[in-house]
Amino acid sequence: MALLVLYSSRKNNCSRYRNPVITTAVAWWFFLAPGFATDSIEPSKIEFFETYIRPVLVEQCYECHSAQSEEPNGGLRLDTRAGIRSGGDSGAAIVPGRVEASRLIDAISFSGDFYDMPPKGKLPEVVIARFRRWIEMGAPDPREGPHKALKENEHQRPHAKDLWSLQPIKPAKLPVVSDPAWPVQRIDHFILKELERQGLQPAPAAHRHALLRRITFDLTGLPPTPVEINEFVGDQSPDAFEKVVERLLTSEAFGDHWARHWLDLACYADTGDADGNVLIGEAWRYRDYVIEAFNSDKPFDQFIREQVAGDLLSANTSIERREQIVATGFLAIGPWTLQNYIKGQLAADVVDHQIEKIGRIFLGMSLGCARCHDHKFDPVPTRDYYALAGIFHSTLTTRHDGPGVWSRIVPTILPESEVHAGKRKASLREFEQKRQQIKDRQQSLQQEPLDGLPSPTANQLTLKEGLDANTANQFYEISFEAGPSVWADRSQATSENDGLVFEILRSNETVLHRYEYTPQPWSGQSQAQSLEPAMFKYKGDGTGPVRLRIKPRLETIGRFGGAVDQLVWTTGEVLILREDFNSLTLTAITGRQPDTHLTVYAGVQLPGWLGAGINHSHAVKIGEKDYAIQFFGGNPPVLADETRKELAELASQLQVLEFNKPKIDEALALRDVETPRDSPIYIRGDFNNHGNVIPRGFLSAIRIQDNFQVNRATSGRRELAEWLIDPENPLTPRVLVNRIWQKMFGQGLVRTVDYLGTVAEPPSHPALLDDLAARFIRRDSSEGESPGLAWSLKGLIREIALSRSYRMSSDNNAAGREIDPDNRLFWRMNRRRLEAEEIRDGLLSVSGRLNPHRSGPSLALELVGNVAGIGGNANPPTYTGAIVPEAIATRRTIYQAFARKRPAALLEILSVFDFPNRNEITGQRDSTTVPTQALFLLNSPYVKAAAQQTASRLLARDDLEDRQRVEYLRLMVFNRPSDRATVERDLEFVREYSAAYAISENPLGSPRVDGWTQYCHALLISNEFLFLE
Amino acid sequence: MNYSRRQLLTSSACGFGGLALGDLLRQEGFAANSLSARKPHCRAAAKRVIFLFMQGGPSQMDMFDFKPALARFHGGVLPFSLPDSEATVGLDNTRLLGPVTSFGRQGQSGLQMTDLLPELAQHADDLCVLRGMKSDSPNHPVATMMLHTGTTNQIWPSLGAWVSYGLGTENDQLPSYLTILPVEGARNYGSAFLPAIHQGTPIQEVGITAGKLPIRHLKDAEIPNPLKRRQLDFLQSINREQLDRLGEDQKMEGVIESMELAFRMQMEAPKLVDFSGETKTTLDLYGIDQTPTNQMGRQCLLARRFAEAGVRFIQVGMGGWDHHGQIRSALPNQCAAADKPIAGLLADLKNRGLLAETLVVWAGEFGRTPHSQDLGGSGSGVGREHNPHGFTIWLAGGGVKGGMTYGETDDFGYRVVQGKVHIHDLHATILHLLGLDHKRLTYHQTGRDFRLTDVHGRVCHEILI
Repeated sequence: MALLVLYSSRKNNCSRYRNPVITTAVAWWFFLAPGFATDSIEPSKIEFFETYIRPVLVEQCYECHSAQSEEPNGGLRLDTRAGIRSGGDSGAAIVPGRVEASRLIDAISFSGDFYDMPPKGKLPEVVIARFRRWIEMGAPDPREGPHKALKENEHQRPHAKDLWSLQPIKPAKLPVVSDPAWPVQRIDHFILKELERQGLQPAPAAHRHALLRRITFDLTGLPPTPVEINEFVGDQSPDAFEKVVERLLTSEAFGDHWARHWLDLACYADTGDADGNVLIGEAWRYRDYVIEAFNSDKPFDQFIREQVAGDLLSANTSIERREQIVATGFLAIGPWTLQNYIKGQLAADVVDHQIEKIGRIFLGMSLGCARCHDHKFDPVPTRDYYALAGIFHSTLTTRHDGPGVWSRIVPTILPESEVHAGKRKASLREFEQKRQQIKDRQQSLQQEPLDGLPSPTANQLTLKEGLDANTANQFYEISFEAGPSVWADRSQATSENDGLVFEILRSNETVLHRYEYTPQPWSGQSQAQSLEPAMFKYKGDGTGPVRLRIKPRLETIGRFGGAVDQLVWTTGEVLILREDFNSLTLTAITGRQPDTHLTVYAGVQLPGWLGAGINHSHAVKIGEKDYAIQFFGGNPPVLADETRKELAELASQLQVLEFNKPKIDEALALRDVETPRDSPIYIRGDFNNHGNVIPRGFLSAIRIQDNFQVNRATSGRRELAEWLIDPENPLTPRVLVNRIWQKMFGQGLVRTVDYLGTVAEPPSHPALLDDLAARFIRRDSSEGESPGLAWSLKGLIREIALSRSYRMSSDNNAAGREIDPDNRLFWRMNRRRLEAEEIRDGLLSVSGRLNPHRSGPSLALELVGNVAGIGGNANPPTYTGAIVPEAIATRRTIYQAFARKRPAALLEILSVFDFPNRNEITGQRDSTTVPTQALFLLNSPYVKAAAQQTASRLLARDDLEDRQRVEYLRLMVFNRPSDRATVERDLEFVREYSAAYAISENPLGSPRVDGWTQYCHALLISNEFLFLE
Repeated sequence: MNYSRRQLLTSSACGFGGLALGDLLRQEGFAANSLSARKPHCRAAAKRVIFLFMQGGPSQMDMFDFKPALARFHGGVLPFSLPDSEATVGLDNTRLLGPVTSFGRQGQSGLQMTDLLPELAQHADDLCVLRGMKSDSPNHPVATMMLHTGTTNQIWPSLGAWVSYGLGTENDQLPSYLTILPVEGARNYGSAFLPAIHQGTPIQEVGITAGKLPIRHLKDAEIPNPLKRRQLDFLQSINREQLDRLGEDQKMEGVIESMELAFRMQMEAPKLVDFSGETKTTLDLYGIDQTPTNQMGRQCLLARRFAEAGVRFIQVGMGGWDHHGQIRSALPNQCAAADKPIAGLLADLKNRGLLAETLVVWAGEFGRTPHSQDLGGSGSGVGREHNPHGFTIWLAGGGVKGGMTYGETDDFGYRVVQGKVHIHDLHATILHLLGLDHKRLTYHQTGRDFRLTDVHGRVCHEILI
């Protein structure tokens, strides 16, 4: 093989070398042949090996790379000839005769491109030289033995047939139970059957109040209102609960709650890089898409298809097209390290996360393991990982666009309907108006008398016309001569830190490149200081013609920033502009200053330039008809304090306004790259270390009849989506149904909801899981006892909610605790603590502050102070979260701003109560108990404010007596009526507390209000509020 | 002979290959989510760690890794190539930048170090300086995560959480892992998949801002303790009533207990940052109430107090080492703020006999380049860019050799050439000093055993006493 490749690669252009090449290749073949015999090596070469090579290998390498090491590192053995030549995970360690192809040499030379070996430090140069020599002489090596140390278990490759979750979904027969009166739904038969088998009794039905609280939180994430409670309790019809479930399923709150479960998986956030809050664009469009998908009960196969490959689908309307593009935010938004200097690494990490999402969310597999090696337990070889990697490397997610080292998520422009376009034009008009208002106000303020001095900001020179010097990625050079300058005396001479700023301006006045020149301070000489050559370069970005602006570095210090002469602007050999500053019109003041003996001119005019001469710029005479332009830092403006303050405010307002200038809607979305291609295996996950190229494809462990072949001209995401939702793919429905079950019962049929692989616990009810999975994807809507659900999430949830199993009480009993303490068989409902947003939204709801407004952006970027770093050269703008307007802060949690790096005060309640890390795919949240939660509940301003608002809401109810207030509050918080004794006891607490408060140090408010506030506070942080029974 | 399992374990010193800590704990009736003190795998040289995290990337060639060649060729073009794979900013006109500080030889060991740290220089013979450090990323967040959690792209437990999981704590009034004024993001002191009890608790105040509490929401400033107690009693009576109705429920009982613990902390924790019991001499030793050492001094004193109190892992955060520009003026200022407090900590620990059993680690997430960086473009305020390919940290106390240097970078201080210690190796070594075998300190999760060093890590026996 080696022979063939070498031959064909050279024969076209270098035929006269054909013979030598063949000879060499044959020689290698000979060395590599298995039958290679020691006695054919010249004795002197053996001696070289034994003297110089073997001792070094033994001493430096064998510890980790030989039969004596537990597990040879990197799969590499250096103690046999076969081992050193066939190599380990990174390929052959040496190639006899070819030093440059021998990775061992890379490693021991500490080239930095590969492992640096030995780890303790670099070997002496002379030793390295001997290794080179040894390889050049053909690497004579008498050591026999296998190339690999065979370990136990090594032959046991995981196999698809051994893993239950990869087997076809088996249609289940309805189990026969001994108490046929108990089941109402199919589910109940499966649950009861197992309970009977274990001699367990299902728990009795939950109390109506507890049941209503449970279903309302489970379906909408909110507590039931007093009206809803009375309605349900008062409804004696047999289908009262069905009506409740229907009402909840059709409420918009359903999507608000269930979409959040999906966003946990999607690692959703509104801001950017993995560890910071860089602005990435309008992520909320994806969030709203998910909410809408849940509320409209979009068939889940379509939901998956759109999220994986929406951009590749066809659409009938622009609305549909927008939706499809936005859907791919699922994979476009993620914890990317956008500032990663190493772009190859960034690309590999993005692809890895996308593969992890596909694997964990849809397939219940951790595919990431196969990035570096064949999966240890599951039938996922490395080549499967790179088959998928090819699909995502052929998909554009991020691009290095700057500023600085930063990449960004590539946005997609959304098609506009006429309505959209009309709206945009209207807001553009509004924008222009606002901008004009600010500018007018600025102008009027600046026109106020400045004590007779020129405006410092006008002491600059700007090219009148834009120049065509901005081709993308083209480098341009600006060279000039510059130095210090002076007007009258030292006080107006260039000093420490003075200097000049050169700016390349785009046509919209934004800065493409900024360069600062700081000359030595004026030395005090009476002759003109000689000007020094200086230069800078910039890279074009293709945004159209540019202009040059030169201005003093410090604008208001009353000194000269410097002088400039002989400006030349080129790219390569091409001259763009030459300016010797000599064709100026000298007018107005001319002077020869006593201290400096220089002729200086004020009020000069330069053709082709704006600025000089109009105000206070100068020229200095260097020689006969030779001038340099000086830049004066201006005198400090004498503005009234409030004027200056207002100007500063106007400037920030203008900046923020411009930043938010209405533009065509964009989405963070995926698209295919121009030339889709297969990916090589990255050996050991190292993106610099390529192995075989793997054709794009899917997991080999899942066999589907339909032959899914990636269309080579596309990324293959479309086919990936179809493969995921194919009826023969057993994982997608099993994983999904199990997720829904976990959300409703607190625990999955398989407890590890993100992992259904070999080392996961098997399902508690395999037949039930398969029955639900099979019916979930079946489209026949035959009524009958086994109806298909046609990928309807609401259908599945409805069926679970109406089951008797779901409606059981959560009460403990001795038998259950003894036989099945973990409640694996669902003999009762699991209790659960509310999740973070249920606590937050519940507090908002009880305190009467919940703002029903839904959808739209959450970051409030239009507020001054919420964005930092606009127009920066090295870093993109970031979200500060400084101001959260009340109108947003009172919305449901899902509509809050989710920053990847959360400012401490913002939504603290979420992180305290186990809100998942936004960078981590989370199918099931933790529910921890730590003292920080207790401190937060007892003392945080957030909870205290909720208590205060609840109390004032309660006290404002003039129609209620105190006793009724207690009853009403308890109904709102616990969602059940209270007995008389309890009400009296609570009232007693309010009275006693108020009395104690009245005589405490510094009572701040009214004892009565405070008594009620502390009472509300206690109820809001009690277990009965925080837990669902 | 009857040996208990534990005796056998301790007597056979790290001889129990393959037994995961989690298994042992289960067999011995320990819960992984408890903080009770546990015995290490084998003999421990150190009982606890004080980790001084110097955020930003301290410049090794200006502090601990003197390079005559760099001084000689100052201003010259780079004699080495920069990695193609790294995008750059401000390196268009980069040149070699000679050391910006002067160096001297300190202590009996003659350790070569900057003259900017005269107080630390008094402890030169206690320092074990690792000049061959290597990390995997030139980005702050990524390298910070590498240093703290041993990974660059996963959410993994931090070193301190692993130590807490492995050893528990000797003080049940305080968390086992405290991070004093953290400059690292929360995931760097998180417990990830380890039980939440092992996560780092941030100390957010060291007694500078009046009225600010050391731990978040420690106290309700508006309500006196007796009234708060009254409310808590009422709350607990409601909670118990519910529990009576429902029967046993561990989770709800846990919440009731945590409310009581929170109230105890509310009473006790403010004393933590009350330095009134410390002598003037001690305060001066750390530079407390002096400029510019006040804050770092308080952080370091607090670290000593926590160490004395038996806290297992204490981190002190200090930002400001990221000298991209103006390094000539900024580095001296930074050293001035760090020198006395850190030297004071070493002296205080030594005087109290704690240094021998306390491992002090001084480390940034990476070092800096020997070549200049110029973000302003003016050439006047140059600094150095990030460099994970070779940098310096030091250790002291807790079982490491003092007065030694280990490892070597090339003539310019850019890449390691000798005695390389990767972050994984550092982690393995720190765990080893605490008596934990990094290959056996594992946690079983989603079907596999996870460890801090993943599949890497080498204990640097060369630096151990």
